[in-house]
Amino acid sequence: MTFSMKRVLAIFNKDLKDLSKNMFVSTSILMPLVLAAIYGRMAEDLSIESYYLVINLAFTMTATFIQCAIIAEEKEKNTLRGLMLSPATIPEIFSGKSLVAFLLSIVTIVVSSIFMEYYPENVALVAVAIVVSTLFYIALGTLLGLLARSVVEASVIIMPVVFLLGFGSFIETLMDKYPILHFAEYLPNLQLIEFATKVQAGSGLTDVWSHLSVITAWFLIVSFLTIVIFKKKEIDA
Amino acid sequence: MEVLSMEDVAKHEKDTVLFPDFSLKVYRQGVTAIYSSLNVRHVLLNMLIGKHSVTSGKIFVQNESYNINRRAYLAQIAVCFFEEGMYERLTIMDCLKFYQGLYQSKQTFEQVLQWTQLEDKTHTKVSKLTFSERRRVQFAKVLLQDAALYIFEEADLNVDLETKRVFSTIIQKLQENQKAILILTGNMENAISVADEVYRLDEKGLYKVEIDEGKDEDVKKEVPDAEEKEQTFKFHKIPTKINEKMVLFDPPEIDYIESKDGQAHLYIKGEAFPTTFTLNELEGRLHYFGFFRCHRSYIVNLQKVREVITWTRNSFNLILDDQAKSSIPLSKGKMAQLKEILGLK
Repeated sequence: MTFSMKRVLAIFNKDLKDLSKNMFVSTSILMPLVLAAIYGRMAEDLSIESYYLVINLAFTMTATFIQCAIIAEEKEKNTLRGLMLSPATIPEIFSGKSLVAFLLSIVTIVVSSIFMEYYPENVALVAVAIVVSTLFYIALGTLLGLLARSVVEASVIIMPVVFLLGFGSFIETLMDKYPILHFAEYLPNLQLIEFATKVQAGSGLTDVWSHLSVITAWFLIVSFLTIVIFKKKEIDA
Repeated sequence: MEVLSMEDVAKHEKDTVLFPDFSLKVYRQGVTAIYSSLNVRHVLLNMLIGKHSVTSGKIFVQNESYNINRRAYLAQIAVCFFEEGMYERLTIMDCLKFYQGLYQSKQTFEQVLQWTQLEDKTHTKVSKLTFSERRRVQFAKVLLQDAALYIFEEADLNVDLETKRVFSTIIQKLQENQKAILILTGNMENAISVADEVYRLDEKGLYKVEIDEGKDEDVKKEVPDAEEKEQTFKFHKIPTKINEKMVLFDPPEIDYIESKDGQAHLYIKGEAFPTTFTLNELEGRLHYFGFFRCHRSYIVNLQKVREVITWTRNSFNLILDDQAKSSIPLSKGKMAQLKEILGLK
């Protein structure tokens, strides 16, 4: 089995073009950008929490939702069958698709950060965390995309994700009231906030690696689940 | 050299037999059509693309089997589905670029666009195309693949004349390039018009349909107007009435038609279905399907006739190939006509 970059690029190009003409999905990128612009103009000095409210929203709205929608659409329009019969391998198909979501999320996050004037103390370290998180959200999007049967269904099942992971920082306030919710601090979005706060305070890799590994663990778990569900669906179909 | 080889392939669904075991080989440069019901067609196609496992029998394409080497097998076939999903928002050019990248095709766009007559539509979005034009985009997709076996499902059903022409050119081009072609269809006319060999597949098995006979009859009837001929084909099902229900039958299903008590009855697998048409009307409508007025009150489906029995010099009977081995009278005067149809003097 050979991994052909040409085929990945063909799928990437096709999905990017398709997405640019699909207003329903591509406008979801605007939401974090608009929010970032408003936040940036509203206050002079924003807290790390507000920066990451927007960044987490960008993750769910672009990485997860776009990935979920393009996979669901491929299923809905019956084009996935053609792809499966083509010489493209399954890793090639999904890398091509993930590349679109990945690129768009990174662009959205960078642009939102510029809008909000967020400049991390240690750019490299934060960049690594952002990339790992993006991978997690894309894997989550793939998983949901496999479960959704149509684009409309995709936009419905994305809602709990947006609330839990996008606006998740509100859970922290609830956590003090209800100790049972303490498990929530292991959610990848809260881990990312913790991570960023520590980095902003000047910590190095030695202090923050635990957060990074939790996010990586999330990515691995979701990827594993995605593969399991994919195999199951393939047998069912 | 054989490209597709199906050996003893059969399919049973619960208690019913979809099709009993049959073997079929499609050779290089061969165009084979299988005429079947929708149900059989779906099952057969899913077996060919490996979606349904082949429980009894074997399917090989270029000696590759789906179960042994999935990728090598799939690389040998190019399928043009009837309900193919398309990227509606992309232009034709973008679609073709994608397919070219996906299949690593060496075929040039100019060539493919010329074959499919889509040259002046390259920047039109797929969603804005007509049904026939979409079909041609699907043909273009198949042409960008370099497979050994090309499978077309209902390729020229409900398409305009231009697309029909494009389809037959494509078949010709593929044949010139040493490819094998399999056409799956529910329309006998489509099957006969492009294929060299036509088979019928149903619960009784795989039967070869003699094309020449059909052509001879067409010539004999001499229908000058092509449009008129087409209309006959478009509306070929025969309605019957059972209780308050209307049931439509495909002409090839009918064994024979008998006029009883002033009403015509269609006989299908030993069961009689009354119809409101007169025998004369039915004779006119069914002429193209190889039906023959063998008697004042009988029309017989010649495809089903197994034996012609001579009782005395002036009395004949036709024995059919159905379950009951029905016997139908043949008038003395009609014997000469039948001989002519059969090519006997």
